[in-house]
Amino acid sequence: MKLSLSPHVLALTILCAALPVVAQSTAPPPDILIKNATVMTASHGTIPNGSVWVHEGKIAGVGTSVDAPASAVVIDASGKYLTPGIIDPHSHSALDGDVNEATSPVTPSMMMIDAFDNRDAALYRALAGGVTTELLLHGSANMIGGQAVVIKNKFGLSRDEMLFPNAPRSIKFASGENPKRVYGSRNQLPSTRMGNFEVMRQSFEDAKAYMASWDAYNVKVKKDPTAIAPKVDLKLEALADVLRGKLYVQIHCYRADEFLTEEAIAKQYGYKIRAFHHALEMYKVAPEIAKDGTGIATFTDWWGFKDEAWDAIPWNAVMSMRAGVRVALKSDSNDHIRRLNQEAGKMVHYGGATEDEAIRMVTLNPAWIIGVDDHTGSIDVGKDADLVIWNMDPLSTYARAEKVYIDGDLFFDSSLPGLGATHFKGAMHDAGGFGGEDDSEGGMN
Amino acid sequence: MRYQTHSILLLALAAATVLCGSNIALAAGPTSVHQTGTIAIVGGKLLTVSHGVIENGTVIIQYGRIQAVGDPSSVKIPTDATIIDAKGLTVYPGLIDPDTTLGLTEVAADEESNDLSEPSDEIMPHMHVADAFHAETELIPVARLNGVTNAVVAPGTADSIAGQDIFIQLGGENRDEMIVGRDVALAMNYGAEQRRRGGRGGGGSFPSTRMGLITQLRQSLLDAQHYEAEQKAAEKKTDAKPGDDAKSGDKGPGKSDKRDLKLEALLPYLHGEKPVVIGVYEGYDIESIMKVAQEFHLKVILNHVTHSQEVLDEIAAYKVPVIVGPIYDFPRADERYDAVYTLPAELAKRGIKIAISSGEAGGPGGAHTVRNLPYSAGFAVAYGLPYDEALKAITLNVAEMFGFGDKLGSLDVGKLGNVVIANGDPLDVRTDVKQVFIEGVSQPMVSRQTKLRDEYSKP
Repeated sequence: MKLSLSPHVLALTILCAALPVVAQSTAPPPDILIKNATVMTASHGTIPNGSVWVHEGKIAGVGTSVDAPASAVVIDASGKYLTPGIIDPHSHSALDGDVNEATSPVTPSMMMIDAFDNRDAALYRALAGGVTTELLLHGSANMIGGQAVVIKNKFGLSRDEMLFPNAPRSIKFASGENPKRVYGSRNQLPSTRMGNFEVMRQSFEDAKAYMASWDAYNVKVKKDPTAIAPKVDLKLEALADVLRGKLYVQIHCYRADEFLTEEAIAKQYGYKIRAFHHALEMYKVAPEIAKDGTGIATFTDWWGFKDEAWDAIPWNAVMSMRAGVRVALKSDSNDHIRRLNQEAGKMVHYGGATEDEAIRMVTLNPAWIIGVDDHTGSIDVGKDADLVIWNMDPLSTYARAEKVYIDGDLFFDSSLPGLGATHFKGAMHDAGGFGGEDDSEGGMN
Repeated sequence: MRYQTHSILLLALAAATVLCGSNIALAAGPTSVHQTGTIAIVGGKLLTVSHGVIENGTVIIQYGRIQAVGDPSSVKIPTDATIIDAKGLTVYPGLIDPDTTLGLTEVAADEESNDLSEPSDEIMPHMHVADAFHAETELIPVARLNGVTNAVVAPGTADSIAGQDIFIQLGGENRDEMIVGRDVALAMNYGAEQRRRGGRGGGGSFPSTRMGLITQLRQSLLDAQHYEAEQKAAEKKTDAKPGDDAKSGDKGPGKSDKRDLKLEALLPYLHGEKPVVIGVYEGYDIESIMKVAQEFHLKVILNHVTHSQEVLDEIAAYKVPVIVGPIYDFPRADERYDAVYTLPAELAKRGIKIAISSGEAGGPGGAHTVRNLPYSAGFAVAYGLPYDEALKAITLNVAEMFGFGDKLGSLDVGKLGNVVIANGDPLDVRTDVKQVFIEGVSQPMVSRQTKLRDEYSKP
């Protein structure tokens, strides 16, 4: 079993170190040679009639010809398309609705992994849509909701085996109507956007004081070994990690003014914002945000579901991309996660993205937002063999994922009878709902 | 369900803008609202829906109606025609969404902008969508830009009988032009999602179970029949010679002069004059509600039938049309991922006439996603529905189900000039619609969203 850097998992693993933890891991899968495919690499264009060689779960070769050994399992993908696995940077799947600890607006120590249900049917349906990696995020009831979990969609394996090894830690922030509604309806702070941002600033002031108390202790203890350490506070420790730059900050917000406020607060306290999620008004301020290096994870064409989504336009993604913002598409929905390829196709229609740009919005760019783009998100030598074979151009309405590989192992094959989920046994759980707004108090999208 | 022709408008249009014989640019902008006269769309690939594909075809629209359709050798272009060059483009009839809430909602989460469900009772046949329809909604131009020219607008789905639908055109000067059919169908719903005022198992008020819902429905239909019998009896007495009842003054048992609009609203449907659209998801719920429908000889259109995989042959035996959708609804746990995706194909295979609605599994829902109607149909093709059936399911079949088959849904002579020109396959997400005509009027290819796009695209 590979270790995740998540301290939570790390601790668990250390506790269990004496146990045989490699319970379900399989032997290294055999080499695979996928040939005669139209290979959309996401990083270096499309290779007609291309081949990809997979060795020990990694991409070992890609091009018009590769040096795969004769022993490799050959998949003839004539007439078919091959892409990197689809990556969803904003999902609430497989959490049984436990996404908002909406009892306080700042709950940074809530760990999404504690709610992760690896038998949820939503994972299977996403897998059948070619999704190989997901960022499972908190909802948006709270200004600071908690720490996300990154999974590889190895449906059928154990919970720990589905964790993305060595993925960076992400934390979910939110501002705007959802926290306003949740706390406003209780006459609590924050009932307004004024309250939203003041709650955040105060939290970081608390974190700074906490860090200072530890700094003082660390100095003192060198002189006085009997000095009493400050109390370890999980909430402040998590906020301190934001200030220490140890967490990727993922922020739910919709309006242009909020992006600017969030960037200002980040600069004031010295952390970076990895991505704005939803970001439906990014087209209004994209050049400014591009300078800050913040990406976005956005809907393609959802709009009008609430006031702060009223100015949403389907050209947002491409306009923001042209202005220099790194753009990913995301689902925020157990429905859309099954057809993110189609959502990418819409970007050809709305704004004239090239096919290369469109496919990158659901592969390499979301990998960057999650911070796993060194490992997955494109078809390049050395990367994880997370691959999807499609019956045709995946940007078409008519495309179906036929085979889905993760780390070189086949996890979904639509040609099989029954579910087509090669590693799954037993019964699925179905949390119900669509994994978005209304599923949980406070909402998510 | 009489179609209101717009003779006054058409005369006005004919007398209005004189167009030069030169080509007009596609997506010409907002100046084109009232252009009409004769239009010749030439050189496009025509998807007629009713009689196949015509490559390099010509469509002539005059006075709002299609005057000719065919290949260039068979169609003479009138000398006064405005010629629209559709070379390399695809031309097809305007799309029709069979299940929307367009004009009943603006911002989904903003209650004040919604007129969806009347929550005071489960039986609300006297709610007329026409009374709430907001023709100026910003949602209509958004849907129209993707080639949707007509739609059924139904109330929200909370009630067993939610009200009466309208059939709209997504273009026109005002509300009354846009509502082309009032009270075209009765919107009914049955199943687990229906509001149970008492809560499941009863919280003090009736109905709280499926048993209660069905009993209440049956009683309402019986009450309406009884009401009609009384009214007829009273009419006879009123028609009788003066003095017949002079002695007693009796107007008949239980008869009142007062009309009961609620019960009266059910009568056209009890007579089978107009369809009832029954929203129902589960196979066993379909069986229950169809028993009631057959008992009262209702003219049924089934809607959704999401989890009906076990009763598809029974549905075929009912010989009723079916609206399928959202195609993106979830299968049941442990079902194959495509159990719902394949439903349109499975129904069509059994000879059932199908329509496909827009909408998604959750999300903004029945009005904001209407522009994605063609993609729902395309998704059905991906999972086995023949292409021609898919196109019919969002054009001609919908028109026929709601009584507009002679006016809409195909490129045929005599039908309204609701025509779309796009740069490719209408069902593909990558395709861009270039121009939409409604009754031969070139629609401005503008919405609130394009205005925002253009405003923020300025250097």
